[in-house]
Amino acid sequence: MTLPYETQREIELFLLREAKLLDTGDFEGWLALYAPEGIYWMPSQPGQTDAKGVASIIYEDYAILAIRVRRLLEARALVLTPMPRTTHLVSNIEVTRSAEDEFTAEAAFMCIEYQGDQQRLYSGRHSHQLLRNNGSFRVALKRVELIDCDGKHSPMTIPI
Amino acid sequence: MMGATDQPLSRNEIRTLVRPDHVHRRAYADPEVFALEQERIFGRLWLYVAHESQLQKPGDFVRTRLAQHEVLVTRHQDGKIYVLHNRCPHRGARLCMVDRGSSRLLTCPYHAWAFRPDGTLSAVPHPKSYPASFSLADPQNHMQRVNNVESYRGFAFANLADDAPPLAKHLGPMREVIDNLIERAPDGEIEIADSSFTLEYHGNWKLHMENANDIFHPSFVHSSSVAPARAAPANASILDQDQTREMLLANGFGQAEWEGIKLNGLAAGHTFMTSFYKKGVLVNEERDPVVQRYRAALGQRLGDERAAAVLAMNRFNNIIYPNLIINAQQQQMRVTIPLAVDLTQVHVHCFRLKGAPEEMFHRAIRFLTTIGSPASMIFSDDVEMLERCQQGLVKQAGPWVNFARGLDNDRRDGDGSVGSVASELPMRVQFEAWVNYLTQ
Repeated sequence: MTLPYETQREIELFLLREAKLLDTGDFEGWLALYAPEGIYWMPSQPGQTDAKGVASIIYEDYAILAIRVRRLLEARALVLTPMPRTTHLVSNIEVTRSAEDEFTAEAAFMCIEYQGDQQRLYSGRHSHQLLRNNGSFRVALKRVELIDCDGKHSPMTIPI
Repeated sequence: MMGATDQPLSRNEIRTLVRPDHVHRRAYADPEVFALEQERIFGRLWLYVAHESQLQKPGDFVRTRLAQHEVLVTRHQDGKIYVLHNRCPHRGARLCMVDRGSSRLLTCPYHAWAFRPDGTLSAVPHPKSYPASFSLADPQNHMQRVNNVESYRGFAFANLADDAPPLAKHLGPMREVIDNLIERAPDGEIEIADSSFTLEYHGNWKLHMENANDIFHPSFVHSSSVAPARAAPANASILDQDQTREMLLANGFGQAEWEGIKLNGLAAGHTFMTSFYKKGVLVNEERDPVVQRYRAALGQRLGDERAAAVLAMNRFNNIIYPNLIINAQQQQMRVTIPLAVDLTQVHVHCFRLKGAPEEMFHRAIRFLTTIGSPASMIFSDDVEMLERCQQGLVKQAGPWVNFARGLDNDRRDGDGSVGSVASELPMRVQFEAWVNYLTQ
């Protein structure tokens, strides 16, 4: 199904908006992009298909993400003192339409995180399943595949 | 750099680092102390290397760490388990580059020396180019073996010392937690999950082992996840029967937990806590249909009375000195690997109880994610504190670390000790053993 340029552009702007909400620390605004039954999934293995029998770095629905977001806003979160700053870059965006009001956006990403004199780089590909909603979109599923998902890690805080 | 001398620390100097209620910061921050730990603790004690469910048939192997060495744990044609240094004896190349696999022979990619799973040399290409003195049977031409390998009920341990006491002697009463984990399986067998996490933090290895039996910190360190979990509605998640929220809530410790959790320590340095998470954080166990099915399956094999006794064993974070942590109730395990005085890896695993409903395994996986993932809302705050401790301990100012809490209330019975009232007994027990091992 060929996608009109306007729709492609609308979805690109949606992804860029998500990145900006994270970079500006508006985590409640970020959560509002998710559908009530939306899921954020960061697998621990490349190409992972099983979210129940294989551990994930993050596998959370709206209700658990809401706890995560509230923690990000808690003044007491130790790992967030000082608050990390991030730059999320989203590129190579490809959009396909799966149904009249459903789209899949695949992209490459980089996220640079700075906290307490340390800079870290995350990268990989992510895909969004998006539902048309009142002139914008809601995230039904975001899947984030880090290139080093099965490698060794330090604690991660800000969503990618 | 502190205490830099040409001589290694004397045994008397080691003894002066630990007092009944204090330990000197050099125990965490001095590379000389770390070198001694590698020699006398990680070089002499039994260390967990693999679970036999990863090595079911001859040729199966896993790559892992044994103290500072990279090793392959293999199953040979004779059915035995071998631990081999991951290095080709020909030119010294690191040999295996994958974390697990199965192969009749391990072949070095450089000049194709091929080794059997027991480390012996099977063949070399173009043998006539080697001199007459060269022999496939010469142990110098074999992958170097770790001499001591023993299993306790599927848990394979290795020991780098020339001669090691029996594994069972080191484990002592801590065998009960391995027994209990296996007995919880309706089929009487467990299997290690195929997924795990590796976390790295910039801090000394002992900080993690102390934190694992520290009952005072959750109220403070985890308040940023307890508070949002308290504010969140119950049963709102469509994914996990509220398990994540319950787990976060469970760290909301108060006086009842500080005074109600018992801490136990054994002379070998092993420690554990009882009556932790007593409400059952995986799920509300009294009402849950999966738990009912599981209990019935376990009762069928063991009888209801025995099954109830197995499930009643409530010991959390069983620390087998120096670096293994097992939770039988939630089927979890952690291995702490010191890489440098201020750099540590933590390998986080879980197990499947064979014969139990598949949902039980899903909950163990969920537990692993919630408490052991790099993005864990719990462990990330722990790691932050471990790193801040290290950052403070490298500074010269104020050399002593205090672990006196509970000192007046500890009891000693038999070869162990018991502490209650939010005691720092586990740290005292670990450091008493630490001095013993380092001064032997």
